[in-house]
Amino acid sequence: MPIDAQVVHKVAALSRLQVDPAEEGRFVKELQSILAYVEQLQALDVSGIEPTSQVGAGAGAPLREDRVLPCDVREEALAQAPDRDGDYFRVPRVV
Amino acid sequence: MKPEEAPRETAESIGRSVQSGERSAVEVAKTFLARADRTAARLGTYLHRDAARTLAAAGEVDTRILAGEKLSPLAGVPVALKDNLCTRGIPTTCGSRILEGYLPPYDAHVVERLHRAGAVFAGKTNCDEFAMGSSTENSAYFPTRNPWDPERVPGGSSGGSAATVAALEAPLSLGSDTGGSVRQPAAFCGVYGLKPTYGAVSRYGLVAFASSLDQIGPFARTARDTALLYNAICGPDERDSTSRAEAKPVGLEDLERGVRGLKIGIPRDLIAEGVDPEVLASLDRVARTLESEGASILDVALPHARYSIATYYLIAPAEASSNLARYDGVRYGFRAKNASNLQEMYAATRGTGFGREVRRRILLGTYALSAGYYDAYYLRAMKVRTLIRKDFSEALAQADAILLPTTPTPPFKLGEKVDDPLAMYLNDIFSIPASLAGAPALSVPAGMTRAGLPIGMQLVGRPFDEGTLLRIARTWEKRNEDALRVPPIAAGGRA
Repeated sequence: MPIDAQVVHKVAALSRLQVDPAEEGRFVKELQSILAYVEQLQALDVSGIEPTSQVGAGAGAPLREDRVLPCDVREEALAQAPDRDGDYFRVPRVV
Repeated sequence: MKPEEAPRETAESIGRSVQSGERSAVEVAKTFLARADRTAARLGTYLHRDAARTLAAAGEVDTRILAGEKLSPLAGVPVALKDNLCTRGIPTTCGSRILEGYLPPYDAHVVERLHRAGAVFAGKTNCDEFAMGSSTENSAYFPTRNPWDPERVPGGSSGGSAATVAALEAPLSLGSDTGGSVRQPAAFCGVYGLKPTYGAVSRYGLVAFASSLDQIGPFARTARDTALLYNAICGPDERDSTSRAEAKPVGLEDLERGVRGLKIGIPRDLIAEGVDPEVLASLDRVARTLESEGASILDVALPHARYSIATYYLIAPAEASSNLARYDGVRYGFRAKNASNLQEMYAATRGTGFGREVRRRILLGTYALSAGYYDAYYLRAMKVRTLIRKDFSEALAQADAILLPTTPTPPFKLGEKVDDPLAMYLNDIFSIPASLAGAPALSVPAGMTRAGLPIGMQLVGRPFDEGTLLRIARTWEKRNEDALRVPPIAAGGRA
């Protein structure tokens, strides 16, 4: 799927990202040039190659005991809210 | 030692004098605050400074020393922190409007460790928004300038952390490196910058960008100081499951052992094209010097490294698009006004709170992960990553370390690449491969261009072998005529 305004629109909606119509053209152009560049990966034969999602992950990763630790930051955390109501975060109506 | 002489000193010597009671941490802090007062605004190095807090932290160190507490070698040494490291009750914006006014309710692991070590908080440094960029021009607040030439960029994304150490505003700083964000600004500013092995330092409290790549790393002006700061932050922490017990402090005495018998590989194929002649000359100078010190220099191949940028610009934005989903205007930071419902509020908050580079990467990452494209883009990139890792493990079976430039060119001018994202990305060709491999990598000051701009060489090593990189760097440093050179803006004790 080549990148066009409609694709940018769709991906922006998936990302919950409002895109100014005036900016749409520039995003299309920039994403087209980046995707044209990454196209070079298609030339590599990767059959039978395991993906690396993270170096050092999986077996051998250390485990810790699962225990409850105090975390007394309720007021400090709530104090960061753009809008709060007592011990709740307040948001605009959902629908 | 007069207090005004402190800025040119190494962190090691400052720490020693504070420990021995030769001078107080408060005196040291005042000296550096005065330096930063003269140059920080012009260079745009800090997003947040707080003299009262710095002096209080220094006073606490003096009290601890008077009480007989044995502190670390960093006692009383000011350390600046990149603004994506959480500091309890101290503004942490990541260079973004979306976190304007945010006061974290906790300290990052590295911040706790530095506090315990007796290091002194020097301020929060400027950076590209959410660490996305190579020039610090993507800061939502103001750009940082290169202390060697204020018309040029300091590199990025940890540009403020690199520039503040180069300008002698702080002896040490921390940055974060996802694809080169410690090493490239270190090279551009003429200081050391270490990206530790993936897993060597806990990222607890580092605001996440691309979690399979992010590492916290030190900036310093000498190899020994780099080791001291690395030692203060490395090791396992149960709040970051990727942090490993294999990460051990580096012995400072080991750095003095020289390079006799070490094998150093140069990936000539990767360096064949598009590299500035003065950067190549510097590479040859460093290689010849190490050879004359008893190392053997050999060619190594990294045949898939040229696919690194394409691989990185799929993996990092994909992870970023997921990590940055948390900025929704509900719990902290900026919220757009006047939205009529929740969905509109999310989109407007994120659309106006994030800058262009961040929005472009979220769009790119979401695209690469979306139905129908996952296999062709994200999954394929993860497989190429395996090939790149294999290149490094094979090269590092032949050589003890790999030597290559940190960047293809010396620092570029502000505005030069800002309208061409791909050109900006291509600048990272030498730093991204080690990030994808999870290998430790150190940028080392390696001389100056004729125009007086710094050049950086990079050493890449085996997992958890930061010590060998620092030992090679220390050997070169002793022979480097430009070691500890100071930019004009910081020279002569006056700005």
